[in-house]
Amino acid sequence: MRKVRSDKSRRLVDIVYRTLFQQVPFNVAVIDRDHNVVDANDNFARRFGDWRGKKCYNLYKKLHRPCDECPSAQVFEDGNVVVADSVGIDQNGKETHYVGHVAPIRMEEGGPVEYVMEMTRTVTGTRSWQQEYQILFDRVPCYITVIDRDFRILRANEAFRQTFGDKPNQHCYEVYKRRKSKCPNCPAARTFRDGQVHHSQQVGTKKSGEKAHYVLSTSPLARGEKEVAHIIEISTDITETKKLEKEIVAAERLAAVGQTVAGLAHSIKNILMGLEGGMYITRKALKRDDKEMLAQGWEMLERNFDKTTSLVKDFLSFSKGRLPELQMVNPNDLVHEIIGLYKDIAESIGVILTEDIDPKVKEAPLDPKGIHTCLTNLVSNAIDACQMSEKKDCRVRISTKDTRSTLTFTVVDDGCGIDHDIKNRIFTTFFTTKGGKGTGLGLLTTRKIVQEHGGKISVSSKKGEGTKFTMAFPRKRLQALFKDNIA
Amino acid sequence: MGKKVLIIDDEEDIRSFLVELFKDNGFETMTASDGVEGLELLKTEKPDLITLDLQMPNDTGTAFYRKMHRDEQSNKIPIIVISGVAGKHLAIKKPFAIFDKPIDAAALLETAKSAVGQDG
Repeated sequence: MRKVRSDKSRRLVDIVYRTLFQQVPFNVAVIDRDHNVVDANDNFARRFGDWRGKKCYNLYKKLHRPCDECPSAQVFEDGNVVVADSVGIDQNGKETHYVGHVAPIRMEEGGPVEYVMEMTRTVTGTRSWQQEYQILFDRVPCYITVIDRDFRILRANEAFRQTFGDKPNQHCYEVYKRRKSKCPNCPAARTFRDGQVHHSQQVGTKKSGEKAHYVLSTSPLARGEKEVAHIIEISTDITETKKLEKEIVAAERLAAVGQTVAGLAHSIKNILMGLEGGMYITRKALKRDDKEMLAQGWEMLERNFDKTTSLVKDFLSFSKGRLPELQMVNPNDLVHEIIGLYKDIAESIGVILTEDIDPKVKEAPLDPKGIHTCLTNLVSNAIDACQMSEKKDCRVRISTKDTRSTLTFTVVDDGCGIDHDIKNRIFTTFFTTKGGKGTGLGLLTTRKIVQEHGGKISVSSKKGEGTKFTMAFPRKRLQALFKDNIA
Repeated sequence: MGKKVLIIDDEEDIRSFLVELFKDNGFETMTASDGVEGLELLKTEKPDLITLDLQMPNDTGTAFYRKMHRDEQSNKIPIIVISGVAGKHLAIKKPFAIFDKPIDAAALLETAKSAVGQDG
């Protein structure tokens, strides 16, 4: 009875091993010291063809002599399992990538290795994916690096290596920026802290010594850890774009200079003609000894002299290409100042000037002189608009507000309003609807000052109903400018 | 009766100057400070000559010219452009003459006289 059971159990073991040999998801082959395949499973045969009477190198690589680096030879020699990566050719002649485990088979425990078992798994699909990703990684027109928590570069793509040099394991700040220590405001540090993607603009130094401007995004390289262990830094080089931008600005500046000079010449010609008229009338009055006419001529001369003065003044304040001199001021105080200056003048011509300030408005880094100029320009425009209106009583209201991290000043009037046509031209040089009274530089200067503060000026208006000018200053930009200002 | 000249310019001092200049030389004058006013006067007054500035608020000189030209009655009136803008020779199709600002008064008068057929 015992023997029967033992026979049965041995058969079971045989079947289990046979099944395992056949069904295991590997190409399994047993090879002797002379590279002969002495057994193989169906997977192997399907991949590499009929193995009977063939050498392993015939089958794996379609060679006629042993491979230069034979993993089996090593196993026969030292008896240890070898894991090897190989490229072979399958029975259809297709290149095939596989990872193989080569294990020793000893017929007796402690005896010599007589056979090896090669268990290979085809990884062709995975390999081509990997290759595609590698190509993508290297060829994508971005600089890509992977860094660890010590800010050391573990991997860098070709574009990065070519531009910044091939310096594995160095700190990113050394390679990107040639710094000895971490950058201030390091976006990677932020990503390590909060696990979020961060974007920033950076300036680095290429290995050629040139400056490199790039837009950087730092993303956590997700590997399931609780804390971010690695970050992938992807940057787009915008050095060329920056250069082009500069060229465009320079070209625009030249065009603006041309326009400005033409506009200036036009204004001056008008003034000259006014002076010519004044001289003509004065001369005539002197000839006739006509005092009244003399007064008229003299007045014309004076008026055109004043025009020259204000043109030159506006022109200078417009052409000043300076950074705003920022200091912490209460925006509401600036409004009070303007109200104080204009209230009486406005009232005397029937315009009611009021303020609607938000008491919660906090101090802000502004150039008080600049903002004063802006408010003066907007308020005097508003008063003019009231005078041009047919309504009896017009109102001008200056207000301040702090909304969504933006500080805004608005100047609203219910005067004559602006035509759609004219609205498009109000910010152009020397444009004026006030005939000889305006220099056509007020709004242009205002916009310039607002832009120098990193802000925006906008206008909405309806003909006959009134106009609203809004100057909006994002607090973030003001703060950034303020920092630069102090530095 | 002197010939009537319509002076269109947005600058008051320039208008008074031209008024004096033309009056002193036997013209009758009327003035408009923009194109819109100019067109109204054109209907009621029938001038013999127009001096026209180009850059003005409320309708430019060019727009005034276009509108005036559609009118059979007035499109024969000679126009003298008086403007300081660059490119003024392109602004209007067939001006009688073009003067830059400031003007040469003697030359303007001579041109004005020949425009209304009083030369010599």
